[in-house]
Amino acid sequence: MTIKYLFQISIGLYVIAGFSAVILSKWHKISNTASNILCMAASVFGIAASIDQLISAQGPVILWKINSSIPLMNFTMTVDNVSSFFILMLSILVFPVSLYSIGYLSHYYGKRNVGLFNTLYSVFILSMILVFTASNTIFFFIAWEIMSVVSYFLVVFESEVEENRRAGTLYIIMTHLGAALMLIGFMIMYSFTNSFALNSDSALIPEFYRNIIFLLLVIGFGTKAGVVPLHIWLPYAHPAAPSNVSALMSGIMIKTAVYGILRFIMIYLGVQNTWWGILILVIGISSALIGVVYAFVENNIKKLLAFSSIENIGIIFIGLGICFIAISTKNETVAALALLASLFHAFNHTIFKGSLFLGAGSIHFSTHTKDMDQLGGLIKKIPIAALFILGGSLSISALVPFNGFIGEWLILQSIFAGIQPGNAGINILFILTVTALALAGALAAGTFIKFFGITFLGLPRSSHASEAQPIPMVMNAASGMLVLLCLVIGIFPAPFIQLISHAAFEITGVSVAVNFKGSFLLTAFPLSVSGNVISPFSSLIIFLLSILAVLLIIRFIGGKYAEKKYGTWDCGFEGLNSRMQYTATGFSKPVKIVFRMLFRPSRDLKITGDDTYHPESMEYIMTTESIFEKYIYDPVLKFTERSSGVIRRKLQTGSIHLYLIYMFAAILAAMLYNRLF
Amino acid sequence: MENYLNLLSHLMLLSSFVLMANKRIRSYIKTFRMQSALIGTTAALIGFESFSSSGRMDVLVVSTVIIALKVIYIPNLLGSTLENIDLKVEKDFFLNIPILVLISCGIVVFSYFSISAVEGINTGIMNVQIVNSISMILMGILFMISRKNAIGQIVGFLVIENGLFVTAMFSTEGMPFIIDMGIFIDIITAVLIMGVMVFKINEKFESADTNKLKNLRG
Repeated sequence: MTIKYLFQISIGLYVIAGFSAVILSKWHKISNTASNILCMAASVFGIAASIDQLISAQGPVILWKINSSIPLMNFTMTVDNVSSFFILMLSILVFPVSLYSIGYLSHYYGKRNVGLFNTLYSVFILSMILVFTASNTIFFFIAWEIMSVVSYFLVVFESEVEENRRAGTLYIIMTHLGAALMLIGFMIMYSFTNSFALNSDSALIPEFYRNIIFLLLVIGFGTKAGVVPLHIWLPYAHPAAPSNVSALMSGIMIKTAVYGILRFIMIYLGVQNTWWGILILVIGISSALIGVVYAFVENNIKKLLAFSSIENIGIIFIGLGICFIAISTKNETVAALALLASLFHAFNHTIFKGSLFLGAGSIHFSTHTKDMDQLGGLIKKIPIAALFILGGSLSISALVPFNGFIGEWLILQSIFAGIQPGNAGINILFILTVTALALAGALAAGTFIKFFGITFLGLPRSSHASEAQPIPMVMNAASGMLVLLCLVIGIFPAPFIQLISHAAFEITGVSVAVNFKGSFLLTAFPLSVSGNVISPFSSLIIFLLSILAVLLIIRFIGGKYAEKKYGTWDCGFEGLNSRMQYTATGFSKPVKIVFRMLFRPSRDLKITGDDTYHPESMEYIMTTESIFEKYIYDPVLKFTERSSGVIRRKLQTGSIHLYLIYMFAAILAAMLYNRLF
Repeated sequence: MENYLNLLSHLMLLSSFVLMANKRIRSYIKTFRMQSALIGTTAALIGFESFSSSGRMDVLVVSTVIIALKVIYIPNLLGSTLENIDLKVEKDFFLNIPILVLISCGIVVFSYFSISAVEGINTGIMNVQIVNSISMILMGILFMISRKNAIGQIVGFLVIENGLFVTAMFSTEGMPFIIDMGIFIDIITAVLIMGVMVFKINEKFESADTNKLKNLRG
């Protein structure tokens, strides 16, 4: 009973936050502070309620019931364990993001309608709660559309920038394309079950139509998740939005798609065919690899993070795919483990990607640029933000002892557990998946070395970086909070895995968390799978011991040494300057060359002056083309544009008589139908 | 009673054929007046029947309104509009008149093919009245398609409306009174507006040929 009230208080506070932002919108600072503090309070209630619901073994809680006499207009908000897991992720992210907004939005004071922004922000959060709690497809679809439209408004909030408007248009077109396919899927469901309720009997749907619904929903939700090749909106929309919104969009909004797949495909339809899982696995692998490769070569800090989101959603999809395959081959333990791993990675990604987007926002706030080639040496100007971004980068690169490691480790474990004798095709696929994950992990680490190294180390590359402004305390506190949480989950994963396993249990009906040999101090042992277990605990110990050994050896061999300071690499010239360091473009060039197929790079070197060896100036231009837009989207777009132009000119001539003939033909066709059928 | 109604229904269909074969704009209006008179008579017959059997007055009222409106007022209005237009005879058709009459025959056969099998619309063995009135609707559209003159368009529109009214009358003894009245008011406004428009079009383009109005498109 108390859980219900906690959820209702949380939702009520979000509503009040939205209204208060509008009412106080004349006083920017007061309105911003008040509504964000209310959102923080609401998120605390949300965290408490969802943890409570996950731990307590009770069934779904009905939050709200709206019955009306209009047919099909009965809405119910229900919270079960899966919903409350996603609400938990949302609330954990909303708390620091709202705290961050108090400081971050100060650059809008006096220039923009901060009240409107905060109202949209609250409605955005509320719409995601509605998506997670909707218990019939109509309600779900309405909530989904509210979420899409409100996030569109937030993306184009700085609408005077042409780039933002284009990003917003692309986003709203792609998201509606996905929503349309989803809606067709829901209608097919209705046509067989005569019910929009999510607990209706899906056994009434014939096999063939189930496959079609599956495909429609995967494309529909995949568009929102930003999986390859439906990802093109994501690298434009996430950087265009203000950073607190990008943190929410990347942290939780793209995971509404994961929720949709769990809710509609796994729980409602049930997994029947092995190829469903293989499809999702392949989508996941290609998203993970292509996302990370694009992230590596990106020089815009927020675009880099957006591509990295594509990679991580790919990893989550890999986990889901393994779970699907395991369910269809009746391997319950592996299915439960893979689902748990996938949900855990989603949870971790919410936290570290949230912190990284907040950090990127801080960099932008402080330097007014997102271009890495303009940055450098920021570690001296904004050391606290640098520390937290380093933490987030370590976590997303899946390094011990941060939480990113645990999630990817569990996914690898579930893949190894899925390799069983007798099923050669799937075993080969799984082995390839492991390889792909390893490659993605290495490239992700490289990406974040570039991200951190170019941005924070070395010398400032422009006045943007050398004149960096200090960052308000609340913004640092917000990203620090998330990084701390990363560290805590990384060191004490067991209670969090237990918590998430309640949600996974509801879907698969098998609990694997009890099998985990949990050591509470460092990291949990995952399942012992056919004897091949690497213990993170002992590897950490070995790592620390080897560092100690190296230090001791140096000490013994080197003996005492004197310290002397001088510039190492300036070759006796006038000292180091920022043009002598690696540029972001230069750093990523090897990857561009290796993955030539994806980038199609072309170079152009312009030398002015007579002498090639002592030129007056040199200009080096490197361009890449995005193959997805050029070879998939552009042809489709051109074809649609051309054919609709032709059809319009043929059909709509302006002649009244022709229009009358259309009517006449339609009536005759209806009469013929009446006779024949 | 049944026989009289059948006769009237056939006569109405015949009047549609006559309309289709017309070339002179003044005879469009005359034929329409004749067809409306037949419909008024039909409504009056059904009205007397229902008054004597169940004491209902409404169909009788509807029949007087039809006679006042469609036999007297609207044809006179169209006639006075015609005074202002030079064109008295329709000259170029999209299809010539013999072919249009043949198509109309095809329409009747097609309506028979489509409608006669429907059960429960009418009490007769063959729903011949319904077939006739639906043919009237389709021929009204065909008339609108084939004529370029704006008054021809208006007459075609009124014939469609006549067909709809007769269909309702034969299948259910007329629509509810209030709906019938509403439709009549619609027709008066439509014809008034169209009359004014034809006048304006003629003034502006020096012709009432709708085939020349092709600029308005998306």
